[in-house]
Amino acid sequence: MLSLRPEEDEKLRKLLTELNRESKSKIVLLIDKSGQLISRSESPAFSSDDITFASLTAGNVAASEALSKLLGDKNLNHMFTETEDEGIYMILIDDKYILVSIFDKNASNLGIVRVKIKKYYGKLVELLRQIEERIESESSVTEQIDVEDIDLDTLFE
Amino acid sequence: MPFINFATREINCKIVYYGPGLSGKTTNIKWIYDHIKPENKGEMITLATETERTLFFDFVPIEVSNVKGFKVRFHLYTTPGQIIYQASRKLILKGVDGVVFVADSQEERHDANLDTLDDMLENLREYDIDIEDLPLVFQYNKRDLPNVLPVEVLRRDLNRWNSPDFEAVATKGIGVLETFKEITRQVLKKIKR
Ligand SMILES: Nc1nc2c(ncn2[C@@H]2O[C@H](COP(=O)(O)OP(=O)(O)OP(=O)(O)O)[C@@H](O)[C@H]2O)c(=O)[nH]1
Ligand SMILES: [Mg+2]
Repeated sequence: MLSLRPEEDEKLRKLLTELNRESKSKIVLLIDKSGQLISRSESPAFSSDDITFASLTAGNVAASEALSKLLGDKNLNHMFTETEDEGIYMILIDDKYILVSIFDKNASNLGIVRVKIKKYYGKLVELLRQIEERIESESSVTEQIDVEDIDLDTLFE
Repeated sequence: MPFINFATREINCKIVYYGPGLSGKTTNIKWIYDHIKPENKGEMITLATETERTLFFDFVPIEVSNVKGFKVRFHLYTTPGQIIYQASRKLILKGVDGVVFVADSQEERHDANLDTLDDMLENLREYDIDIEDLPLVFQYNKRDLPNVLPVEVLRRDLNRWNSPDFEAVATKGIGVLETFKEITRQVLKKIKR
């Protein structure tokens, strides 16, 4: 089970926010390959639904990966999609996570984004590995969670 | 695999609706989406063909806050039931925390139910997911149609794990909530364990 402690959450967010600023992106997201949004840069101006964005990105990457496998078991490393105004750059980390930068093409470009990601990549990998090690060393995180009194009836109208 | 963030106090889980083509998977999560309060849902995504057959997946994010301070997010996905989309179905199962198998109760669709169940078991095996240990609910849908098999037959042939199961008419919302509540209950119980 993947989990984040408050101090880890803060470190991740700080790192992504710095990367976001330096690469002049609109937002930088860290997603796991099953589609969960793990962390994102502080980017108040980004107003799209980040949860849904994460799920679609993971689907997109999964489909492209499957395509490259069909072409002879080559690994997918990164991919780039663009709209008229925006670029979306996705890069795989440790074959488990996806780092995404969304940038305005008038404010930044693919070259800058890739250079800045390269700069932070090592730090990010190290941080994620530390988190994984911490998770592995813990026997159970869930006793601190009270899920018993979740009332699903309140969800519906 | 659930994802827990202790900073934002959020738990995220992935629930997949699996089943043969046209069994009513999209109808299930669409009904849930339409009846949930706006403040508890995010944006729904459907990746479908012109004829409303699911092409890759549907996605509905649901948020529940509880009094003790944890917020739970359920990410509901449907798979594309048509045989040709076997590769996509496998991709969607990645990291799954619970499965709802939506069977089509009509007699002529029973072979499709069985084939799809085999396909699901195969995909789970490839991800090293043990079905005995996976929250699982069966739904026998389309009970309003004339040519349906008795529930006992569907149960015997499909529900080999004695999982909770429900009859449904998804177009009318019958059985939809019961199914959803049972799978979320199981998923949360497993996190707790
Ligand atoms: N009579 C009846 N029709 C239903 C019921 N549930 C779904 N349908 C209809 O069956 C058709 C297929 O439903 P979908 O929900 O799109 O099926 P699906 O499982 O998502 O199909 P794929 O995306 O192709 O895998 C639609 O026309 C629905 O209105 C039901 O309980 N009774
Ligand atoms: Mg569908």
